[in-house]
Amino acid sequence: MQKKIVFTVNGDRVELSVEPNLTLLDLLKGQLGLIGTREGCDSGACGACTVIMDGAPVLSCMTLAVRCHNRNITTIEGLAHDGKLHPLQQSAIDHDAVQCGFCTAGWLLSAKVLLDNNPTPTREQVRTAVAGNLCRCAGYQRIEESILAVAEGRAKVQE
Amino acid sequence: MPTEQLDIVGTSSIRVDARDKVMGKAIYIDDIQVPGMLHGKVLRSRYPHARIVRIDTSRAEKLPGVLGVVTGADVPFIHGESLLDEPFLARDKVRYTGEGVAVVAAVDVATAEHALELIRVEYKELPAVFDPVEATEPGAPLIHENVGTYTRAASNIKPIPGTNICNHFQLKTGDVEKGFAESDYIFEDTFTTPMQAHCCIETHGAIALVDDETNITVWANNDSPHRARKEIASAFKVPMTKVRVIIAPYVGGNFGGKGGLKAEAVALAIAWKVRNRPIKIMYTREEEFCSTIGRHPSVVRMKTGVKQDGTFVARAVKIYLATGAYAEKGPTVSTFAGISGAGPYRIPNLSIDSYCVYTNRQLAGAFRGYGGPQTAWAYESQMDIIAHKLGLDPVELRLRQVYVDGDRHANGQILKSEGLRDCLVQVAESMEWNSKPLGKNQGRGVALMERAIKTPFGSAAFVKVNEDGTVDVLSSTTEVGQGSATIVCQIVAEELGVPMASVRKAAPDTAFTPYDASTTSSRSTFHMGNAVKMAAADAKQQLLALASKLLKASPDDLTITQGKVHVKAMPERALPISKVLSENYGASGTVLGRGYYYPEMPEGESNYFSRYMVFWLLGAQGAEVEVNRETGEVKILKIYAAHDAGKAINPMTCLDQIRGGVTLGAGFALSENLMFKGGTVLNPSFLSYPVPSALDAPEIEPMAVEYAHPDGPYGAKGIGETTNVPTPPAIANAIYNAVGIRIKDLPITPDKVLAALKRKDER
Repeated sequence: MQKKIVFTVNGDRVELSVEPNLTLLDLLKGQLGLIGTREGCDSGACGACTVIMDGAPVLSCMTLAVRCHNRNITTIEGLAHDGKLHPLQQSAIDHDAVQCGFCTAGWLLSAKVLLDNNPTPTREQVRTAVAGNLCRCAGYQRIEESILAVAEGRAKVQE
Repeated sequence: MPTEQLDIVGTSSIRVDARDKVMGKAIYIDDIQVPGMLHGKVLRSRYPHARIVRIDTSRAEKLPGVLGVVTGADVPFIHGESLLDEPFLARDKVRYTGEGVAVVAAVDVATAEHALELIRVEYKELPAVFDPVEATEPGAPLIHENVGTYTRAASNIKPIPGTNICNHFQLKTGDVEKGFAESDYIFEDTFTTPMQAHCCIETHGAIALVDDETNITVWANNDSPHRARKEIASAFKVPMTKVRVIIAPYVGGNFGGKGGLKAEAVALAIAWKVRNRPIKIMYTREEEFCSTIGRHPSVVRMKTGVKQDGTFVARAVKIYLATGAYAEKGPTVSTFAGISGAGPYRIPNLSIDSYCVYTNRQLAGAFRGYGGPQTAWAYESQMDIIAHKLGLDPVELRLRQVYVDGDRHANGQILKSEGLRDCLVQVAESMEWNSKPLGKNQGRGVALMERAIKTPFGSAAFVKVNEDGTVDVLSSTTEVGQGSATIVCQIVAEELGVPMASVRKAAPDTAFTPYDASTTSSRSTFHMGNAVKMAAADAKQQLLALASKLLKASPDDLTITQGKVHVKAMPERALPISKVLSENYGASGTVLGRGYYYPEMPEGESNYFSRYMVFWLLGAQGAEVEVNRETGEVKILKIYAAHDAGKAINPMTCLDQIRGGVTLGAGFALSENLMFKGGTVLNPSFLSYPVPSALDAPEIEPMAVEYAHPDGPYGAKGIGETTNVPTPPAIANAIYNAVGIRIKDLPITPDKVLAALKRKDER
């Protein structure tokens, strides 16, 4: 029994009918072509499928698509605007925080939520924010530095 | 090395793949859809060792949406990289829990999963064996009855017929018994390591298509397309022209885990039966833990004789590596474990036996370090045991014994470009070994490592100069996250004289990108680096010849800078590459450069995983730790890591290979352990298998030592693969230094620390 949902993804209004057991991950990847959201474990343990729902990070593999009704979703494809990278994306490139790239979208979105709520986090707060995003290639030092660099840059602008 | 003026090599260019990855545009295997594609799911054995009495697939075949079901009887083919011993699906018997028994192809994943439940398999259980030492003993259940007759990749793979040993590597120098007799002290210790799981965040996946004329196409996230192509062609007995392996544009992690045939094998099995339809199989995380490969669990027995003054006289090493149900790369892993089994030290009398042993568990194969972590855990832990017994400083003892240029290695070769001593000196200086005060329950330790490099294997490349002066590099090196695409582009840009932004490396496709042995063994920078350098130099010479008459100068007087051919002494007498091509060829110009690198070998050496090494992977690490006596927890305060890069083509990505490797090594040291009950994996999930998170990762000070190699491109060697190897023994040695306990079995969990502290207090 399909259910009709209406929601916003990366600023675009989407209206469609979905099976009640469809996950947000499968909706994004399979039906909306938003491949940047990654499936790493399908059990809410790796963080690769993290997206932002109404300003909070959620694991899209553990979230039913029907829950998105009237919600606002941001995926990695919504982070850059008109080809201009979000500062977190540019900082990730500049700090060599990306290796295989499979975990990248997840921690970038976790970091975006962190900085949206706390523009000047401590290193410990950065660590906690991305603790649910496993990275096997790079370790975490560069990821943390890339996030802190954005935070510090923003802090300077605000002064 | 002559000093070269370098513009791009040696600079920290940003990664060529980074932008696609941060934007979510990178395409991985799971994103690839092929028209008419079906989905496959695998039924797996629930027994570690059992005869298959019968399989009934009839109900599954009748399920609407199912296009076919395949079992081992339908695909009577065998594959394997070093030993041909592995069926595409179990036939007659299963040899591990998790082995593929049947595959269903269906219109979608849910239907395929449903069909699996309808397949009935009747098993008759057989006695199983799980411990690698027990498996070598007389009377142990035989996992492969015919190991002695299996086809081997080369004569230096030595199974012992009638046993579970699929390779016995031996290395003897001097007279080890005489050496022990002449020693003042004899040390005998046994060290063990568990199975570590690769935990690439991207799981294995493949799409296989076999048409009714046996043309085979495979899309995969495999690390080595040409090796896979050869393995497929020889298994299915078709010419290599009928097999095409296409690697996804991006691969989400490797560490050795994505070589050989994994998802490819089961996808091919069903595609062999259900013809003319592409069939995709993506592994689940549980399959990843239970039905791919991990790091060989090991038992290493080390006996060492030393003089009172610390001089090493003799060492006997017995290495047992549990390779699981099929050999996979185990025979060559055990060879490398053996070659460096005594450590990077001058010891005149040596006896090394390295056994690769079948067990009834999930396979072990290539994993970052390839035999190095198991042996370094043993020889570097015992190094400190010896130092403390003799009252010698652990750094000082290592400096006295460590190989330097001109030494004869245990394998017989005279060493050159041996930067290990420099690595240790840098680590000791950075951590202020002799002077920095540490707090209560804090300690410091060091460890070294050496590992062989897959020798001798070739790499080829083409450099295509396009009409507009941009450059495509055709190379089958796979970008798995290690940064090889960036390194390849940097070398081509440097050699050809074009900007980085003008160079692009293609993703591997065996129909177009030329032969490369493998993206493994930290061989790409050295081997493919040489190949693309040659190809770029070839293209450059052709361009200079073409420009010669246009610029009215001899090719010898010309060069290329920033994409313009010009007279060396007069940069203003210049023509853009695009103009050179169009003036010669009109609208259809191109230049094609080619390169093939194959190392020069001493006469008589094996041409498959030889004992002679074209270069060595070398590194030293230091650890500072704090031990909590109440909880047994070990906190890593800092890791100092120096590895010999020869020449860092890209210093930034080079150091980040070290950062990533140390983090993986720290996990192996303190937490990671794929646990089994009998043949069953107990923790096949990220919820129960503890991969280090951002909260666990240690602070790291990475250092690249540049001890140039005369045969490396710009002096470069490989670095990435073994940056995890010295971390566990460095940490164990630091724990001993902190609280006086010696843990010999990885991982160093709080319960082991508390038990050892208790035993120490009772003494």
